[in-house]
Amino acid sequence: MIYLLCLIPFAIGLYGVIVKRNLIKIIIGLTLMEYSTFLFFALIGYKDGGVPPIEISGGRSLIFVDPLPQALVLTAIVIGLATTALLISTAVRIYQRYGTFDIRKIRKLRG
Amino acid sequence: MTNKPINSNKNSGMSLIVKTISRLISGLIFLYGIYIVAHGHLTPGGGFGGGMILASSFILMVLSLGSERKLSERFKLNSSLAESLGILIFWFLAIFGLILGSIFFLNFLGKGRPFHLLSGGIIPLCNIGIGLEVAGAISAVFIIFIIWKEKGE
Repeated sequence: MIYLLCLIPFAIGLYGVIVKRNLIKIIIGLTLMEYSTFLFFALIGYKDGGVPPIEISGGRSLIFVDPLPQALVLTAIVIGLATTALLISTAVRIYQRYGTFDIRKIRKLRG
Repeated sequence: MTNKPINSNKNSGMSLIVKTISRLISGLIFLYGIYIVAHGHLTPGGGFGGGMILASSFILMVLSLGSERKLSERFKLNSSLAESLGILIFWFLAIFGLILGSIFFLNFLGKGRPFHLLSGGIIPLCNIGIGLEVAGAISAVFIIFIIWKEKGE
């Protein structure tokens, strides 16, 4: 179930990257693929009835959700933010130089 | 956006309703970010999440109220300063541990009573440093795009 749920946004993002010809839409597709992966990581660490993995006063034995995927996803979100900022800045530079976002029209190298 | 506001300047922000609501809300968002940063050692969240919320309040204000060239430059300078200050706080805490007890990141403060706000030694201070760092970095990334947009016009 989790696999199917995370496959759907990933497939939509892949469709956007492959089929669309607007640079902004390609970036949106890449971001959607990233976030479907984050969702997958967060969901495979979930346990039924689990609480956040922090110490709680009282000392009862509780079911914790798996903290390792959450730490991984936190790092991956930071990297994803930096990647998205880099992609958008590249797209802005391309628009300033060529005046279009259409990747079919960006052909000539201009000095 | 099809219906243009009466003011023809493109950077003057959105309509009056959006401006009023975002003026009301962004203070609350800022306060919530401070709460998340301060309770980082007790509840889920911490420096990173709280810093993102702090930056999102700034981003909401810039997007709704519009921007000017001079203000954007100053905002960029200030957010870069906040970012550097945050990472310096983090680094100095680590170095103090090295000086006082010859261990990097030694928890040299008193631990306090567990599960209270003043507990955990240097961990809340580290969270405050990370919060400043993240808020400054996200704001700087955002405002650089705004400055580019203003330069393009």
